[in-house]
Amino acid sequence: MSEHDKIRDLLALAAADALTSAEEKQVAEHVRSCIACSNELGAWRPIASELHRLPTPLPSSWLVQSTLARAEAKLTEQAEHDWNRRVMIAVVAFAWLLTIASWPVFHVVTGRFGGLLEPQLSHTRFSYTWISFAAFTALGWLAGGVAAVMLAVRQRGERRPA
Amino acid sequence: MAVDADVVRLRRGDLNALSELITRYQNRLYRYLLRIVRQPAEAEDLFQQTWLRVVEKIRSFDASRNFDAWLFTLARNLAIDHLRRIHPQSLDEPLANSWHSETVADRIPCKDDTPLDHALAAERRTEISEAMAGLPMMYREVLTLRFEDEMNIEEIAQVTAAPVSTVKSRLRRSLEQLRYVLEARYPGGTWQ
Repeated sequence: MSEHDKIRDLLALAAADALTSAEEKQVAEHVRSCIACSNELGAWRPIASELHRLPTPLPSSWLVQSTLARAEAKLTEQAEHDWNRRVMIAVVAFAWLLTIASWPVFHVVTGRFGGLLEPQLSHTRFSYTWISFAAFTALGWLAGGVAAVMLAVRQRGERRPA
Repeated sequence: MAVDADVVRLRRGDLNALSELITRYQNRLYRYLLRIVRQPAEAEDLFQQTWLRVVEKIRSFDASRNFDAWLFTLARNLAIDHLRRIHPQSLDEPLANSWHSETVADRIPCKDDTPLDHALAAERRTEISEAMAGLPMMYREVLTLRFEDEMNIEEIAQVTAAPVSTVKSRLRRSLEQLRYVLEARYPGGTWQ
């Protein structure tokens, strides 16, 4: 491909101001000495100029307002969701803390606190203490789970449009 | 690069920042979507979807990046998915009846000196708009990003996820095709 052909390929981009500075320089130098390319560039200019001046179609104010309302509702919903998640994490962490803290309390209440400190527990005592404790914990978690499901169902019902 | 304060505020869930951003980008975004899908009703729907997607994804937006490019990329992805679903042929082919259809853009009055200038300028822009609407989607997109949104080649490459060389070649071919269409329709440069 000759230099002339290469420059000719760049003319449309030159009119679109889409050349690198090196290419721009190359085109400018060539156009000064080549009438054909100068005319060609002249033919591209009005197209580029008109494209820059095309009128902008405007969105209706109704569209903007309704978009804003929907986006705000989503943002609020997301914030609420995030807050609920944070609260849930805190509640779960607290529940675990309470569960762990309740082990010694449980033993004090059942009079078996000393047994915890003994490295070798008898099989019977171990079973009695820990099965009771596991049942107590499972019951607590089950009640919590049921409450969470009921709350979620209720919340979904409230969100559903009337 | 300075981080856009409204974008930072939106990331924190500020409703006013959302309103500011929608107001700031409404015209550019709507125009871009309308140039891609060509139907006002579809552009309106995509406009809403884009902002909902912005709200959904704003936390994953890297604040050191260009928000314009990110926003237009979201809009582009939604528009392309929409076109693939609704009009799969429109990604490559011009609309069958687009040649004589009046677009919303054509109805917008423009500022010119005399009634004759006004009429001639409006006519020229209508011709360009119609010719542009008849081009394939990739060409319409690169033309609107370059000339209407005044993005540089690197920004267009970010939005379209294409290499700079591809964007340049697409821009050149879109201009050539536009000129070819105008010259075929108005021999002797009478459209100018």
